[in-house]
Amino acid sequence: MIEQVLTGAVAGGTCIVFAGLGEIVAERSGVINLGTEGSMLCGALAAYAVGIQTGNPWIGVAAGMLAGLALSAVFAAMVLLRNANQIAMGLVVSFLGIGITALFGQDYVGKGVVPLETWDIPGLSKLPFLGPVLFQHDPLTYLSFLAVPALTWVIWRTRAGLVLRAAGEGPEVLEIYGTSATRVRWVAVLFGGAMAGIGGAQLSTASTLNWSEQMTVGRGYVAVALVIFAGWVPYKLMLGAYLFSGAIALNLYLQAQGSDISQYILQSLPYVLVLVVLALLSRRRIHGGPAALEKVFES
Amino acid sequence: MTAVDAPPSETDDAPDPAPVVAEETGGEPTFAQRLPRVVARWAAIIVSTIVIFSAFLLAKGADPGPVLEAMWKTAMGTPDSIGETLIRATPILLAALAAAVPARAGLFNLGGEGQLLMGAIGAILVADQLDGGAPGFLTLVLMAVGAAALGAAWAALPALLKVVTRTNEAISSLLLNYIAAIIVTWLCFEPWKDPASLGQAYSREMTGPERFPVIWGERVHPGIFVAIGAAVVLWAVLKYTTWGFKLRVIGGNPSAARRAGLAVGGLSVAAMCVGGAMAGLGGMIEIAGTEGRLRPGLLAGVGFIGFLASWLAKHDPLKCILSAFILGAIAVGGSGLKISAGLSGGAVNILMALVLFAVLGWGSKPAAKES
Repeated sequence: MIEQVLTGAVAGGTCIVFAGLGEIVAERSGVINLGTEGSMLCGALAAYAVGIQTGNPWIGVAAGMLAGLALSAVFAAMVLLRNANQIAMGLVVSFLGIGITALFGQDYVGKGVVPLETWDIPGLSKLPFLGPVLFQHDPLTYLSFLAVPALTWVIWRTRAGLVLRAAGEGPEVLEIYGTSATRVRWVAVLFGGAMAGIGGAQLSTASTLNWSEQMTVGRGYVAVALVIFAGWVPYKLMLGAYLFSGAIALNLYLQAQGSDISQYILQSLPYVLVLVVLALLSRRRIHGGPAALEKVFES
Repeated sequence: MTAVDAPPSETDDAPDPAPVVAEETGGEPTFAQRLPRVVARWAAIIVSTIVIFSAFLLAKGADPGPVLEAMWKTAMGTPDSIGETLIRATPILLAALAAAVPARAGLFNLGGEGQLLMGAIGAILVADQLDGGAPGFLTLVLMAVGAAALGAAWAALPALLKVVTRTNEAISSLLLNYIAAIIVTWLCFEPWKDPASLGQAYSREMTGPERFPVIWGERVHPGIFVAIGAAVVLWAVLKYTTWGFKLRVIGGNPSAARRAGLAVGGLSVAAMCVGGAMAGLGGMIEIAGTEGRLRPGLLAGVGFIGFLASWLAKHDPLKCILSAFILGAIAVGGSGLKISAGLSGGAVNILMALVLFAVLGWGSKPAAKES
């Protein structure tokens, strides 16, 4: 049972890991982007559609990444150029993403996917327990395993990471050293959009293997919630994403077993878990967050 | 900046006066002087959104002319379609008020979806308790009270989490929407399932005194008047009472408000609860007026549209009436898009987003060099 639930947690959580890692970068620069939901949807559809058109899922993933990036560029322009409110604009951009994917996705509902195939890692995939949980997935899942330490290293050990954190903590200081905080935020938001696009691509072409309207059902918003939950730390975000999707996997597993526990309680479990942990950690977290981000909420 | 300034989120250099601004700056141009600018601005907004939306339709391979015409006809073309728009605008307006009141206090209520659903549940709970034992008008009043109470309670959760644990209320209210939707699904499939609803899952159909009368055409009920009345009352409360003034103060500068001795926590919770009560009322009206029963997927998306309507109106309850009507018309236009052109109705989300971009993006000041 544990093996199945954990396998489901990793398989279902990967898309949230990508979106959340991107959002960590955006929020570290001082921008909260609820448009992540829209970027994921656009990524999911673009990857699905381009995969079918070209027959090559990798071109699809690239298209998904670009679609997510394009939508976040709209968000960045509104927030960074026009100074519009971040929370409201995030929701508006998600509406745009929902609308665009509804319009162009209609022809792809029910069309066969060109899937990202599962790569069993030679040797490791044969391990008992760990093999199926960690080493029998699609390549993007392995990429997410690498992205977590890589991003951690970039954020804390490189000059780029220092500049990123400075944009979120003390934009005035950054300006004194001749770097534009706004420019850093542009790069961070676009990176976040691209990552959400990859997450969406993974969702449609490797996880659910279909396209339907609003198929992300709030995973982008959950990713934003998990970023705060994780205190803007990549590995904690990964754990949070697996906790969320593990709760979904648990429900599916128990239902398949014909369990007596109400499926509705189990369905709400992932959201309740995130909410409760968020509440328990928030008192400590609020001062751990980027200073510029607090301004968004406490102005 | 003084404490009584409008919240900075309300970046308002638009010619139309938010009441807050009007109080402070003497020598405002008169309405007649501003009118040409207002008209020109709205003409530009309407033309640009239609042009960009048409470009999307062309990219999809649809002819924009007939599609837009069909959307107009469905939303505004006949008395019946205007009635549909009013029906749709009603819960949107109340959800907009649910976002607008907390926004005055500097809070983001993204939980309108869940609060609407809790209102619907509250209304049915009360109706089931009464079981036809109260006269018609009283039944509706009690249902509304129950709905408002449950909506307020659902909104109190993120507010209390904010005050007690400093949990971000935008995120927690958003997550609660999904939990509310699961509760509705559970009620429809298990305890409240109407035995007569084969296959589908509905609660029992409400009848008689539990329903609003139809006042126009086949479906239009007086709910829109309740919603407009609520908007007017809230406008007056926010503008003329000390409570409304206090909300603006904490929205403008919470730490200054705290130093001035205002109970920021209590006021925040109260603002969210009033908002939640409005959304709850919206859920009740949807049940008693339009739907007659609970079903999975009820009011999906309406809470978010209401949030957008509040931003479109810069959190002014009176302007929310207009913005809810506009977004309601666009939402109803989606059915026209679907029926006439065979396109997905969800595509109207593009149009809503474009309107918001135009108003929020063009209406706000360009980013300052130093923020």
